[in-house]
Amino acid sequence: MTARRLFPLMTPARWAGIAAGVVLVAAFPLVYRDQYVLTVIVTGLVLLVLNISWNFVLGVAGVWNFGQLAIYALGGYGAGILMLHTLLPPWLAVLGGGVIAALISVLLAFPTLRLYGIYTSLLTFAFAEIVQYVILNDGSGLTGGSYGFPTVPGLYSSLSPDASMRAYYWTVLGVVVVSTAGLAAVGHSHLGIAVRAVRDAPAYTAARGVNPLRYRVIAFAISGFLAGIAGALYISFNQSISPSAMGLTPMSIDVTMLVIGGLGTVFGPLIGTALLTIVQTALVDHPGIELTILGTFLLIVVVFVPGGLVGLITRTRNRVAAWAAEGEGTREKTAGAAEAPAPVPRGDPR
Amino acid sequence: MTTPILAVSDLSAGYGDAPVIRGLGVTVEPGEVAVIIGPNGHGKTTFLRAVSGLLKPSRGEVLLDGEPVQGRTPEYISGLGLVHIPQGDGLFAEMTVEENLLMGAFPGSAWRSRRSALARVYELFPGVRDRARQRARTLSGGERRLTALARGLMRPSRIMLIDEPSLGLAPVAIDTVYGAIAELKASSTTILLVEENFTHVGGIADTVHIVEMGAIVRSGSFDELSRDPTIVGTYLGSL
Amino acid sequence: MSATDVVGILVTTFILGSIYGLVAIGMTLIYGALRILDMSQGSMVMIGSFVGWGILVVAGWNPIVAIGLAFVATFLLGTFTQLVSVQPLMKRRHEIDFEMITFITTFAVAIVFTNLALEILGPQQRNVTFVIAGGINVYNGVNLPYQSLAMALVSIVLMAGLGVFLARTRWGMAIRAVAQDLDAARLMGVPVGKLYPLTMGLASALAGIAGVFLGGLYFASPQAGDQPLLIALIVVIFGGLGSLPGTVYAAYAIGFIQATAEVLVGTTWALPILYAVILLVLIVRPQGLMGKPSEARL
Repeated sequence: MTARRLFPLMTPARWAGIAAGVVLVAAFPLVYRDQYVLTVIVTGLVLLVLNISWNFVLGVAGVWNFGQLAIYALGGYGAGILMLHTLLPPWLAVLGGGVIAALISVLLAFPTLRLYGIYTSLLTFAFAEIVQYVILNDGSGLTGGSYGFPTVPGLYSSLSPDASMRAYYWTVLGVVVVSTAGLAAVGHSHLGIAVRAVRDAPAYTAARGVNPLRYRVIAFAISGFLAGIAGALYISFNQSISPSAMGLTPMSIDVTMLVIGGLGTVFGPLIGTALLTIVQTALVDHPGIELTILGTFLLIVVVFVPGGLVGLITRTRNRVAAWAAEGEGTREKTAGAAEAPAPVPRGDPR
Repeated sequence: MTTPILAVSDLSAGYGDAPVIRGLGVTVEPGEVAVIIGPNGHGKTTFLRAVSGLLKPSRGEVLLDGEPVQGRTPEYISGLGLVHIPQGDGLFAEMTVEENLLMGAFPGSAWRSRRSALARVYELFPGVRDRARQRARTLSGGERRLTALARGLMRPSRIMLIDEPSLGLAPVAIDTVYGAIAELKASSTTILLVEENFTHVGGIADTVHIVEMGAIVRSGSFDELSRDPTIVGTYLGSL
Repeated sequence: MSATDVVGILVTTFILGSIYGLVAIGMTLIYGALRILDMSQGSMVMIGSFVGWGILVVAGWNPIVAIGLAFVATFLLGTFTQLVSVQPLMKRRHEIDFEMITFITTFAVAIVFTNLALEILGPQQRNVTFVIAGGINVYNGVNLPYQSLAMALVSIVLMAGLGVFLARTRWGMAIRAVAQDLDAARLMGVPVGKLYPLTMGLASALAGIAGVFLGGLYFASPQAGDQPLLIALIVVIFGGLGSLPGTVYAAYAIGFIQATAEVLVGTTWALPILYAVILLVLIVRPQGLMGKPSEARL
């Protein structure tokens, strides 16, 4: 499995560009010490991991899963419980959170297989609501209920606040890079092709002997694990977690990030999360206006630019390339032309 | 020379990128019963849908009494007096027969005179009248077909498009349906009808057009074409 | 559980069920005719409750004006919602996952309405006081307030009125026709470009009136659209998407479950129990009471 095969759209120039970008981002906390800004960025990066996982199940696998926030939160709570009540080192607790989330996610996969899209979204949504309610009203002390989880040490409590901040920054950044690259590779692998085939033409793939259950379970497992890791990172960084991490409002914001960035694309979550985090931070004192703008963005993007911003960029690049090629009289097929974002997934056939 | 009720020229239409009909042209004069014969999948239904507006043609012209209607909505085209009885009847399954008939008179002017239209239609189709309160989905194939025809008569029409009236029916039912169509012909209704083969159209067809691969390949009177051995071999009685 | 409890449950079922029916019936109507799940219905309830507050509390006029104005306001907003969030997608409905995209777009509209209300009116809950005081003592201290009785009755009348409209009038039949066979309806000359916004306007107007009532029963606040939306979804799925009688039965069933749960395990757990119920329904019988299995299952 060469890099060329796993990442067919990457040229050496692009690798260099991305590496440079990652290095720049990684170097940021070394020069800029403002704790508030760094906190915002780390929080945004954690959210980005969640969005990457959500983008995989929603965009690539095409399953209208609206329970991802609950999976994320359960990963966080799971990791927290492991940190607080067991002797596991924090690293393993974080991984444990991922595993717990993956298991729950897989359970959710089964009933969704037999339902049409809308019903799946309602099933997963009802699931998320139940999880939120149960936690909110948990009087047993295990989850802390509406007060939030009791304080956990997290991964880097032994370091100074400055060092700990940087450690979290680089850790989460590392997870972002690995998961983006990993899922991009998966996307071009046998698994990814199968998953997208099941999404786009379920009847055909079933007729060809591809088992939709297997691939849906795998997709849910991967995205669940990643969401759980995100949740575990969240509880480590914030040293607590509360049910407000779930719910209709955070979900609307996340879905908006995914759609605006470009559902099903590799960089969509990145662009969407970055853009909306900036908007959110700028308007943090005016949640009403912020969400009004978000809602309007979402509406405009879905109606007019269904491929999201990544789709827009790809199309613009293609047009520019075609225009440039026309002058030479040759039809140059740009590499970018192949990276058309997934059309907002087609539903199951009727 | 009178204006044809329907003049289609160079019509191409399809689903997605592949055209199902290409460069199809046909004319129907007032009072004429034109029949299009062709195997399944060669564009008969697509053609009717492109004429009635359910499908947007990619090229070509459709003139209804001289007025270009290609690309217009089905609501608009039906408002000009085109009645399309689709394949599979297009009945509203959960509505009663009478409700279906009333929907046939939906446009404003037809709606106002719906009661008299209903009376007239019930007289022409007593079998339909007997089932007035039945839900459409409980009817037999032949009854559904007759109801669809009856519904088509609930408002004044310049031309009726009928898609495979014999489809899925037992021979007795087919005879009844074609009997009804013959009566329509007798009252000078202009009809454009498509069928898979010649078997039942002899008594009513003025002109027959053969369609293959989305284009008309032969036209002529029924007598003419039914004497041509190659055509008879392909289309007559091939069920 | 005593006899008083049982009577109390029945009374609550009657009141809640009737109002829930009004909230949900628009949603099922829209699904039947447009094949979309209109996620902005909750915000219509919220807007209706604010209209109720404005008319009854701020202006001090009578409830009939409140209902009338709520109807008009939400009718217009519902029409507007259809035109911006659904109509532009109609051309592409066969190329995209139309149901899911409109789920998102109507949801986006709900976000905009909710947060505009938040900015303009602030997050506080407002009490909506009706004028009618007093009630009937139904049994052993179980009180049926006149105001709630009136709300339930008006809801029932409106739902029945909708039924009559759909069964007997030209446009009502046109809506049913579009729900059953869109192409055939267009061939009959039904102007779907006008019918769709009108249907969504009508459905939203019914939700708006329900909002006046729910505001009176509870309160008016910008966030108060979320719960009615979820209840409407639960009712509509339980009853079967697109089936109006199913929705009505389901509304009372859900009202009953909620009332019983409140007595047995308290208010906090009533809603999660409802979610658990709908989860079960989605797993076992997703078409609900009266929906078509082919539309729900693969």
